[in-house]
Amino acid sequence: MLQVRNLLVFFENALAINDVSLEVSQGELVAVLGSNSAGKTTLMNTVSGLLLDIQKKEQRRGGERITIMGRVEYEGREIIQQKPSLRVKQGIVLCQERHPVFRDSDVLENLRIAGYLYTRREVKEGIEKVFAIFPVLRRLRKRRAGLLSGGEQQMLAAGIALMARPRLLLMDEPLLGLSPLLQAELAASIKEICRQGITTLVTEQFARPIMPIIDRGYVMENGRLVFSGNREELMDNPEVKSAYLGV
Amino acid sequence: MSTIIYGIITSVILALYAVGFSLTYGISGLANFAHGALYILAGYISWNLMNYLGLPFLASAPLAVVACALVGFIIYWGLLLRVRGIPLSELVVTFAAGVAILELLTWRGFYGISYSLPVFVEGGVEIWGVAVDAQRLLVIAVGVALVVLLYLFVHYTKIGLAFRGMAQNERTALSVGIESDWIGALSLALGSALAGLAAVVVLPLGMMESSVGYEVLIYALAVAIVGGLESTPGMVVASFVIGFGQRITASYIGPKWMIIVPLAAIVLVLAVRPSGLFGKFKELEERV
Repeated sequence: MLQVRNLLVFFENALAINDVSLEVSQGELVAVLGSNSAGKTTLMNTVSGLLLDIQKKEQRRGGERITIMGRVEYEGREIIQQKPSLRVKQGIVLCQERHPVFRDSDVLENLRIAGYLYTRREVKEGIEKVFAIFPVLRRLRKRRAGLLSGGEQQMLAAGIALMARPRLLLMDEPLLGLSPLLQAELAASIKEICRQGITTLVTEQFARPIMPIIDRGYVMENGRLVFSGNREELMDNPEVKSAYLGV
Repeated sequence: MSTIIYGIITSVILALYAVGFSLTYGISGLANFAHGALYILAGYISWNLMNYLGLPFLASAPLAVVACALVGFIIYWGLLLRVRGIPLSELVVTFAAGVAILELLTWRGFYGISYSLPVFVEGGVEIWGVAVDAQRLLVIAVGVALVVLLYLFVHYTKIGLAFRGMAQNERTALSVGIESDWIGALSLALGSALAGLAAVVVLPLGMMESSVGYEVLIYALAVAIVGGLESTPGMVVASFVIGFGQRITASYIGPKWMIIVPLAAIVLVLAVRPSGLFGKFKELEERV
């Protein structure tokens, strides 16, 4: 479904993504593990197209020069130059890190804003689907998003992404900063989203909470993918064990 | 009594001046310094449509509003797009566009006492012993209707919701398929249309000339700064504070001191509470 080939991303002369190739097939739940500044977010932003927008804005104000090279294919088509809105229409939706929600709007309005591309009826159905996956949100639907707890905001952020009807969902560190209990709960929800037929690519710093739900994973270090394998192979790898599982 | 009634009218007029400016700023963080120019442009366009094409005011006024929206859109797409994201350049571009429009109108001879728009409604009524003409009541009605309509617009329509999304978190808006430049251009078009709308209901109250554009910009800025940029309740309250301030000044000190009020208000607020009366400080509980 998604094929990244020899991707290189420069911020000025610094290499953020160094020759990355990865693949996600239909229906899979794939993780990219890596520490801070390994390039996970840049990878997600490149696949979602957000980086193109950042690049354009930097260019306008004469800021950082961002260079993107390589191939990103989605369902067989090259998309590396497509702007983010076009990618969303084709089903590539990014849920950014640190639960970025619309803080002054209540939960329901957050979801309605996120249904921008769809008809009123589709939005209604979408909201029901989100509430089915995250029942907490139904109870909190009238609360302002800025007043939700971190975990609730993360669920809402996932809900916002779901409202855009992804076929390939990109989740950037969804478990960051949550308590272990919430992490397990949210991980189960992500598994459920994937089970409903939404292919998911998720990044994470710590492997433990995400390990039980993934099919395959990559390990990223300093912009390079240094290891790839299925869940068992990841768990058996001594380096992964020490660096990301804390064993 | 007359101070109160005319204070309300002045306040609503100020709110009408400011609403488009605040709206654009609230959505895309864009301070449109061409706002006053667009205001007077609407008057100029509708005057010309009436006097050269013979259209009735009821037809020329909406056309002028639409024309303003178009000019706003063109300012965004043609000029602002190149400097979007650099606040100072945005300011220079919009101010330059505004000066260009105003000086163009002056060059076309749009000053003096020969230009005025007809009122929509003739006659007047007496409220608690104070004579008020119908046009001023219409101004109040338009002001109130506008607040209600805008509220419904931003909370219940697709574009309105996209506006709210953009205003709050541009990147999240982008990642659900909302295009920031398109929405930015629309927000400037809507703000400009509101400047035009204010013009066609307020201008019939007096003479018009190109220099009014600068005045309107100052009022819009004063209201936006005093109320706190991005805050709608702030805008309404600030309109009333400055409006009544002006009326009271006019009644007790003298009409020539009226223009001091918005300027003094700007200075005072910037000195004492720079984010405005209702400006948003990040609330503690939101810093999760």
